[in-house]
Amino acid sequence: MTKGDIDPPPFFKSWTAMYWLVIGVLAALIGLFYLLTVLYR
Amino acid sequence: MSGLDWGVLVGTIAFIVLYGVWKTRKTQHMTGYLRADNTERWWMMGLSIMATQASAITFLSTPGQAFDDGMRFIQFYFGLPLAMVVLSITAIPIYYRLKVYTAYEYLESRFDLKTRSLAALLFLVQRGLSTGITIYAPAIILSAILGWNLTATILFIGVVVTFYTVVGGTKAVSQTQRLQMAVMLGGMLVAAVVVVRLLPDGVGFAEAMTVAGKAGKLNLVDLSFNPNDRYNLWSGLIGGFFLSLSYFGTDQSQVGRYLGGETIAQSRLGLLMNGLVKVPMQFLILLVGVLVFVFYQFYQPPLYFNQQHAANVLASAEAPAWQSLEAQSQEVFQQKKAASLAVVEAEQRGDEQAKEQAAQAMQQAEAQRKALRQEAQELVKKHNQGTDLKDTDYVFLTFVTQQLPQGLIGLLLAVVLCAAMGSTASAFNSLASTTVVDVYKRSLRKNASDDHYVAASRWFTVGWGAVSILFALFASQLENLIQAVNILGSLFYGTILGVFIAAFYFKRLAANAVFWAAVGTQFLIFLLYFTTNIAYLWYNLIGVVLVVGIGYGLRAVLPRQA
Repeated sequence: MTKGDIDPPPFFKSWTAMYWLVIGVLAALIGLFYLLTVLYR
Repeated sequence: MSGLDWGVLVGTIAFIVLYGVWKTRKTQHMTGYLRADNTERWWMMGLSIMATQASAITFLSTPGQAFDDGMRFIQFYFGLPLAMVVLSITAIPIYYRLKVYTAYEYLESRFDLKTRSLAALLFLVQRGLSTGITIYAPAIILSAILGWNLTATILFIGVVVTFYTVVGGTKAVSQTQRLQMAVMLGGMLVAAVVVVRLLPDGVGFAEAMTVAGKAGKLNLVDLSFNPNDRYNLWSGLIGGFFLSLSYFGTDQSQVGRYLGGETIAQSRLGLLMNGLVKVPMQFLILLVGVLVFVFYQFYQPPLYFNQQHAANVLASAEAPAWQSLEAQSQEVFQQKKAASLAVVEAEQRGDEQAKEQAAQAMQQAEAQRKALRQEAQELVKKHNQGTDLKDTDYVFLTFVTQQLPQGLIGLLLAVVLCAAMGSTASAFNSLASTTVVDVYKRSLRKNASDDHYVAASRWFTVGWGAVSILFALFASQLENLIQAVNILGSLFYGTILGVFIAAFYFKRLAANAVFWAAVGTQFLIFLLYFTTNIAYLWYNLIGVVLVVGIGYGLRAVLPRQA
């Protein structure tokens, strides 16, 4: 393992938080896209 | 094309290529040539990963797909961010710990040489065949619309990419891809703004969205579950997840991008950047296609976008039938334009009832237009035997060349060529590295010097470049084969992913069981493909389940390995 493995990501305390950011952004985008689909149907 | 357009196009491509060559001209060692000396920063890897996936067809087909079928293709990418998270947690630390050059090296340390060789072979066959199409597909469209010579276009793309990939290896691929990605994203943003500005007075972005919505083009999320339907939320989340796991975790053209990272953290961030940016980027490209559709609600589109195919019909005895279809198409267009304007006016007045009535008239006119296009397609089919009849790939470039102002045409053509070159460069680089590391160095010439392997990598890059160019040159005579290659290629992913999933997560599975399970799985996937209508995204999940399931079955009957 390199030292980089234990380095936290920038702006976040842990990698777990970073992963939740990616999943959260995906969930928000799907929600937004669903809203667009329904609103403009 | 004007002199300004040629200037923008040639200037952009020349600058990117020369910059890439100049920055990487001193690359001499294996680590430098195949892993970029492990100096890559996360944002460079993120751009490189995206540029590898975004081929020219992404920028030609995707807007055309939105024009024809709406934005539902976006769901294909929903599983990608989840796959980026899983790969960051699992694959990256393993690849770094073993200091591998290719993903397949890991399989030997986990299983044995034959499993490594099988996975490398499946990759070389699949990627080797598809890279020719990566060059051919945009070349045929560019030559049809702009009148460029097809052979010269194929040779230009193939030779230029081979040149800078040979000179700088992975570093050159990465250096050029970040610039190519900037051109691609910038070009599509400009295109989106310009399309809206070209709409008639009184029709802005909000009105365009209303018209697109009422025409059924803003169908971004479909919650229904249907395994035979290619694009819905579930096929995107589940099938797209497994496809992305396979593509980004086991395909050397992608693994090679993030193995060049400075640290594990940098590689992880590169993959996660892809997870954050990819879906919005695809949304932008599809949105451009929808805006082009709205543009053609107000301005007469051609009956058929592939003008070469249309010309073949017009040169035949069925020219009168074609001209009649064109005349009917003009009438239908006038009805559609009036209905679309009525939708816009009702929207601006806030009159919901009038808007619904106008929308119905617009939908009826659109249905008539589709029926006329269907008839046109039948005529085209008769007079263009053996060629690809999908004219939606021609929609975006037809719009660009006929409607955009001078300078921007050159920029958008640079987007297409940058995309073609970026994805082809990654493919050449990964084909060469897999051939050298997994075949040549492992089995043919084991103890040569570092310089020898760098030279071999350069020669194999030239070799794969030549194979791909030759395949692209002969592809025009093998149009049906191209379809077969595209489909067959996607059928290998499930098996390769199954082998890697077994390696990562199923510690009790040993080499022989996994190897024979992979062989059996590949056979069963072909069988399923030819006997059922399962949408291809699901084959990735099926491949994983079969490899692991058959592997456990064989584990019970095969003799235990030491």
